[in-house]
Amino acid sequence: MRYIKIYLTCVRVAFSQAAAYRTDFILGNIITLLSNILFPLVTVVIYANGAEFPEWSMWEVLLIQSVFSMSTGMSAMLTQGILWTTMDHIREGSFEVVLLKPLSPLFYLTAVNFSTGSLGLFTGGLVLTIVSASNTGADAGGIPVFLLLFISGTAVLCGLDLVMAAITFKWVGNSRIPEIFDSIAEFGKYPLGIFPKPLRIFAAFVIPVAVVGFFPASALLGRLEWYMLVAVIPCALFLAFGIWLYDRMIKRYEGVGG
Amino acid sequence: MNPVRQKFEVCKAVAFVTYKEWSAYRSHSLVSVFVGPVYFIVQYFIWSAVYGGVGTFGGMELEQTIRYFGVSALIGYLTMDFADWNLQMLVRTGKFLTFALRPVHHRFFALSQKLGHRILGFIFEFLPCFLIFLFVFRIDIIPAHIGWTLLSTALAFLMNFYVNYCIGMTAFYFVQAQGIRTVYQLLASVFSGVLIPISFFPGAVQWVMMFLPFQYTNYVTAMVWTGAESIGELGLSIPQAVLFQGIAVIATALLSEVIYRASIKRFTAVGA
Repeated sequence: MRYIKIYLTCVRVAFSQAAAYRTDFILGNIITLLSNILFPLVTVVIYANGAEFPEWSMWEVLLIQSVFSMSTGMSAMLTQGILWTTMDHIREGSFEVVLLKPLSPLFYLTAVNFSTGSLGLFTGGLVLTIVSASNTGADAGGIPVFLLLFISGTAVLCGLDLVMAAITFKWVGNSRIPEIFDSIAEFGKYPLGIFPKPLRIFAAFVIPVAVVGFFPASALLGRLEWYMLVAVIPCALFLAFGIWLYDRMIKRYEGVGG
Repeated sequence: MNPVRQKFEVCKAVAFVTYKEWSAYRSHSLVSVFVGPVYFIVQYFIWSAVYGGVGTFGGMELEQTIRYFGVSALIGYLTMDFADWNLQMLVRTGKFLTFALRPVHHRFFALSQKLGHRILGFIFEFLPCFLIFLFVFRIDIIPAHIGWTLLSTALAFLMNFYVNYCIGMTAFYFVQAQGIRTVYQLLASVFSGVLIPISFFPGAVQWVMMFLPFQYTNYVTAMVWTGAESIGELGLSIPQAVLFQGIAVIATALLSEVIYRASIKRFTAVGA
């Protein structure tokens, strides 16, 4: 209960800060919304030229990509700030400030790094999801499974944020770490069937990025397969691994900067 | 000392120091050795699936498109630039003052820095990825016309720098110009041809792109590298495309000087 109160207070503070810098908040979110519009452009161009992803209509592919955006926005609000804050603290040798708080360091960083700046990404993804779903005749009966898979996909992205943050304890100050994981996440933005079997297994069960966009969209489209539900397990494991790794890496913190 | 010789010596010294400075972070550059091939694999399967039902797409065959994306990644390693971020930071913090007082134009200093930084990129990003594309993925990544490719790459290098420097100069007018930088990067990611070749866009969009800087930082060079017979909506030959690129670079360089002269009057050197 105490932790929930602290978290809600931090969320309230984040919104108050956003209100203090309204123009920056609004502009930042408009820019993020714009990026949402441009992101599916490749798909639109492909279909506008008469080509296609086999067995997938344009709106179905856009649905995958908009769910992916929505999940990215959600995870960015929840955990993305942990990476940058951890990286800065370690580079400057000031992580002790976090360790001295009378709270779990990971919880503290999660709470104080709630990001209102990613609200635009989430909202843009949500709007595109609704528009895409309404153009595909998506099945409302699939919404409960969609939500389960959406939460699982968000858990994967949160897990990735934590793994990246944990790596910065050893790979000090490397701001390019997110590029590594962003490149892996690319596999989750397209119909999984276009990739060969080893990559499909990798994206579904090893680093389950397919659960971020493809599986939830499949649930809405009535294309759900049994193994997609099984993938919920590696998602939970991946998040647990991220938390475990971060806690373990804290013990290796040397406090000298870099 | 001969002014040209002096400029060369300054450029060499700044480039060398920048190279040494960034060598400390060479493992950061090596991230590209993983990221570049992974993005390429994704592109390979996307376009293989898309071409499954069509022979040509946007006037390009599958093999040419695959080569285009490989080459495009390599060009990125040679021309990567953050002059905009650097200049904005210097102006915002007031540190630009230390450059304004030096007997070297800051733009020339920044260009020399970029040269040193990209030599490092050539060794730790370009070469490993080039070899991976050539021997692991077995893509025909060798330039079709080496002379034109070198010239076009050099122009893309300059174009990227001058455009970014112009974006960076917005910091003289706004305290925090990060938003403008983000918008430009967003547009550049789409219209430079990194995500999708410009020839896949409708003719009207391609026509407009001729008069904007984006495609001269990547698309034109990638098409020259792959030896395309007809580039863009105008169906330019390689020499014509490089000529257009050269004109665009000169125009942007002149524009950057005009903006610099207007901007420097606003510099207060107090930081913000």
